Amino acid sequence: MRIAVLLSAGRHAVSGRPAPVPVELQAIRLAHDLGGEVTGLHAGPDAAPLKDTLGHGLPRLVHHRITVADDPLPSLAAALIEGAFDLVLAGRTGQGGEDTGLLPYALARQLSLPLVPDAAALAEGPQSGTLSVEQALPRGARRRLVVHVPALVTVHPAAPAALPFAFAAARRGAVEARPGLVAPRAPTQIEERPYRARPKLIAKAAAGASAAERLKAATEAASGGGRLLVDPLPEEAAREILTHLRDIGVLRSR
Amino acid sequence: MTRPRKNPRTERAAHRVEGGARPRFDLAATAKETGRPRRDPRGEERLALVPGTARRRLDRTQRIAATAISQAPAPSAEAAPTVRIIAEPAYLVAVVPDASGGRLTPHDRQLLGAARILADAGGGAVLALAEADDLASAGADRVLALPVAGYDPEAKALAVQAILAGLDIRHALFPESPDGGDLARRLAAMTGEELFAGAESLSPKAVTRAAQGRRIEQRRAPPRLISIKADAVAAHSGARHEARPVEFGFPAIALGAILSADFIPADPAKVSLAEAEFVVSAGNGVSDFNAFRALVAALNATPGASRVVCDAGLMPRAAQVGASGTVLEANCYFALGIAGAPQHLQGVARCEHVVAVNTDLHAAMIERAGLAVVADAQQVMPALLKLLDKEAGG
Ligand SMILES: Cc1cc2nc3c(=O)[nH]c(=O)nc-3n(C[C@H](O)[C@H](O)[C@H](O)COP(=O)(O)OP(=O)(O)OC[C@H]3O[C@@H](n4cnc5c(N)ncnc54)[C@H](O)[C@@H]3O)c2cc1C
Repeated sequence: MRIAVLLSAGRHAVSGRPAPVPVELQAIRLAHDLGGEVTGLHAGPDAAPLKDTLGHGLPRLVHHRITVADDPLPSLAAALIEGAFDLVLAGRTGQGGEDTGLLPYALARQLSLPLVPDAAALAEGPQSGTLSVEQALPRGARRRLVVHVPALVTVHPAAPAALPFAFAAARRGAVEARPGLVAPRAPTQIEERPYRARPKLIAKAAAGASAAERLKAATEAASGGGRLLVDPLPEEAAREILTHLRDIGVLRSR
Repeated sequence: MTRPRKNPRTERAAHRVEGGARPRFDLAATAKETGRPRRDPRGEERLALVPGTARRRLDRTQRIAATAISQAPAPSAEAAPTVRIIAEPAYLVAVVPDASGGRLTPHDRQLLGAARILADAGGGAVLALAEADDLASAGADRVLALPVAGYDPEAKALAVQAILAGLDIRHALFPESPDGGDLARRLAAMTGEELFAGAESLSPKAVTRAAQGRRIEQRRAPPRLISIKADAVAAHSGARHEARPVEFGFPAIALGAILSADFIPADPAKVSLAEAEFVVSAGNGVSDFNAFRALVAALNATPGASRVVCDAGLMPRAAQVGASGTVLEANCYFALGIAGAPQHLQGVARCEHVVAVNTDLHAAMIERAGLAVVADAQQVMPALLKLLDKEAGG
């Protein structure tokens, strides 16, 4: 199987220095475990920060050189058509760029590939030419989907951790530079300014409430007092608790 | 408790005789009453007294008195809830809530609150694109269910696209959740419109989002497609809205590329505490940990613990709930023998339902709980196990 992993120019979450995006390293691991020929694809001005990906199990990285003002979408689309890949993996969202997570969707649309979001595990499908994707859902649940290849799959942070960095593999791996396509970005109305953290909403506490009120809102019952049983028999308490748990639907009756 | 309250200052003012240089008072004049009832601390204490215990115990939240009152016939003259009707909206604000299982999540409610902000700014109406109960109080004016069954995001996106093209929709809002965010991005790719992904604040004039690893804030006037992060906008809390079903002729929608989809429920023993749905937690009041572990397994829950228990090495550190442990997102929290220190309660703040078993009526956990049982955990746990066993057998 020919697999392409899309790599973006990320920034480290804490230091802010150029670095690979963690979820894309996890994508490399998923591709590595699935087996086959794995190629990394990057479109951007500089591939030097992505050299680390070679140490995390990527044998080959193809760098399409474009300027900062260019849109990477056409270059990547052209590279994917030319490479005729069976599977394209991408991270869920980038970290350090626009961080919208829109690029895989636009690519899938342009190449008419089916897109499966949030993969946590990949395996060969039941028939040949299919892929079984385990999709990560909130609260640790999963959904197993089967799609035909070729397909584009985005990877969720719940996927297995990236392969450990190996210096010899980083030395062995090759970066191949090619010219990308010139495609100036469309102008937008977006204004940019330094980020200012906004307070998150705390349930019920009104804006400008005192610290004591906010603590009270954060720690008090959501629905103002419930039922109170004082010194019941253990059997009665057990029955009440089970009925209550069934009522709120956390305990499925077998 | 119902005696009228005396206010000496208004009484004095009522006795005052107008005119003259020096203040003069006519004490024979009758004073006006303020109408505010006077507090009766003894009566209040009598109501808070918990019956049937040897020790004198007070329940300050007055749940016993409240249940006694609620069992009495409810007052019949209940004011009819007012419903706000927007008959001729200038435009529509569409909302696509996740509403999994027909119930609105807190995030969905916040989304409808955001839609109300955008709709009320110009006389528009909110159109909810999902079937769920309680849409009226969440602030939806119109309801239209999407004709998509099972997991098929591509077909859902096509249906929403048909609505965007067919109705006068000024904004479409999506939750920035796994399914909602996916749908928003599919739609953006399909229509070629710009998506403002993961908005962190919203007003009729501007939306903002974080970019470049939270170093840059981007802002602009609200575009048509917006996805909103959780806890960014407050839920609607005003009058009920109409939530009137509307008709729409959907075009025939081709099925997506997904061949099969199976839901695999999480294994509660393996999921991390932060992701768990139902947590059963042990505190210093639990000494029988074998029964506790058996109960956790029988209830199909994720085990948790208070800091005292983790410090003592009775449970792993990863199981600690609270400010210096894990902040839960669980739906239900079942606390056995936990006092409910503020540091512990912070970890439970986002849980919707709390059940507590404690020997101390005055524990903060008992006050926080929706079902509070004042009993010995060492006796309740075997009783629960026995009952669960009997139900499984019979
Ligand atoms: C900086 C800081 C951070 C902290 N962070 C955390 C944190 O993250 N998480 C955390 O949990 N704590 C934290 N703590 C500790 C916290 O303040 C409390 O000490 C701790 O939560 C108390 O745990 P507990 O309720 O299990 O124990 P206790 O306070 O000893 O309470 C035991 C409770 O069990 C009841 N009980 C006794 N016997 C029985 C019985 N047989 N049956 C039923 N009930 C019984 C008692 O009535 C009592 O209410 C922190 C403290 C500090 C200073």
